[in-house]
Amino acid sequence: MKISASLPTGVAGLFFDGARRRRRLEERLVRRLEEDGFSEVILPVIDYLDPYEEMLSAGSREELYRLIDRDGAVLVLRADFTPMLARLIAPRLGSLPKPLKLFYRGDVLRYREERAGRPRELYQLGAEILGAGGGAGERLALRQLLAVLDACGGGAIVVLGFAGALDQLILACAGRASPLEVMQALVRRERSVARRCHRALLEVVERGVPADPSALGEGAAAELARLEALRDELAVAFPRLELKIDLAEFADQARQETLYRQLGGRAYYDGLVFRAFGRASARPLGGGGRYDRLFEKLEAETTAAGFCIDLDALVELAGERGEEGS
Amino acid sequence: MIRLALPKGRNLGPALAAFRAAGLALDGVERDRRLKVRIGDDLEALLLKDWDLPLYVEHGIADLGVVGSDVLEEVDGDLLVPVRLTDGRSRMSLIGRQRRLPESGEQVRLATKYPRTARRILDSRSWGAEVLTLSGSIELAPILDLAELALDIVQTGRTLRDNRLEELEVVRQVAPCLVVNRAAYQKHRRRLNAFIDRLEQAGVVS
Repeated sequence: MKISASLPTGVAGLFFDGARRRRRLEERLVRRLEEDGFSEVILPVIDYLDPYEEMLSAGSREELYRLIDRDGAVLVLRADFTPMLARLIAPRLGSLPKPLKLFYRGDVLRYREERAGRPRELYQLGAEILGAGGGAGERLALRQLLAVLDACGGGAIVVLGFAGALDQLILACAGRASPLEVMQALVRRERSVARRCHRALLEVVERGVPADPSALGEGAAAELARLEALRDELAVAFPRLELKIDLAEFADQARQETLYRQLGGRAYYDGLVFRAFGRASARPLGGGGRYDRLFEKLEAETTAAGFCIDLDALVELAGERGEEGS
Repeated sequence: MIRLALPKGRNLGPALAAFRAAGLALDGVERDRRLKVRIGDDLEALLLKDWDLPLYVEHGIADLGVVGSDVLEEVDGDLLVPVRLTDGRSRMSLIGRQRRLPESGEQVRLATKYPRTARRILDSRSWGAEVLTLSGSIELAPILDLAELALDIVQTGRTLRDNRLEELEVVRQVAPCLVVNRAAYQKHRRRLNAFIDRLEQAGVVS
């Protein structure tokens, strides 16, 4: 009998050089994280759906692979590491030393519409920092991500922002457009919606930041000034990476309560947020940020920040930069 | 270098006209038999089918392109949509041979090449429909009784009149959209914004 070698859509096997390249890079990055004091956690690939119901956006819900266990429980294949890690660590967080630095690696599975080049299985490597004082955790998470990208030869663009940066401007649009419509339009850079709402929003859509930061409100303007200082400091430390501040990129990460409710309480981040792209390939590499609110939902009080990268996208970046073997 | 994806089909004319108005003359591209056409030192144009274009832009193979909002809603990619072209607009409508929409509780068949959009529209209806996905000649389905309704693009309405079909309800306004890859926007932000500014100044986008 002839057996087919075809696989389901969106998954692939790695053989020979492809497998070697991924493992070699993974080992380098894991060694680096361990040297920096991170401990590995190994998480299951199957979990209950129920504990995550409140944390799921409409988009992430559609991506879940669900199955019914023989006892009738609804299970899901792992689509994200952070919520599972948070749920498992939250009950014993009080007894663990801080800051707690953890890392993980493995596959996540997400249903995606059947189109060429859309993987449904992604191999991720990520790290979380829990209980670091003030903003230390989010800065460390960003630094770790930049170090990983730098170790792959640079060649990446890292976009920085912070949750809630545009909340005041979005709320000021009430009557002209719904907050949800404005948030989604800003993320898509729709000029017409931004123009209809506020001149500063149009500037954010075009340039990433408003010409006059005070338009963001006092608190957000001060936070933007701190972010600019952090960007300048990191640009010196990582000259091979391009760091940009772009508040429109994270316009749907609301912090203000009314807007947060509009998003169904599912905005993930509540502090610094960042996202990395390959410069040559224009491929998303990963991202991260601060997410204390996730732990609040789990009735645990702590600061929490982390990052996650797509290892295969990183292998590609390292290959482009001739850094695979180093 | 910036790579621009142009749509074959009904959106090509409006796209070329808009770009010409903004000072980017691409005339003749549609007659060129090469699949990639180099224009000057730092621009390359690709001619792609509407349904493939978002994929090329999402993957960063093309930095930007023009595609109809009908296709964009259907494929659901992570693309930036800074502006919409004012020319080439049309509507997406429910079409049938009878002069009425189904009544509450009624079950019909609906032919379309936009199954996801159709399901979104049906979610808010009191009547139900089995969605039949076709790849072309959608209007033929109600004419030949393959389906009671069709969901399709209407430009002038002439095909409907010629075939004694009724436009029962306009469900979406459709426009050719300028789409940009998220990473490419960060990489070429200044140049892309300058180009979008020129399109706006020429009054060919909104």
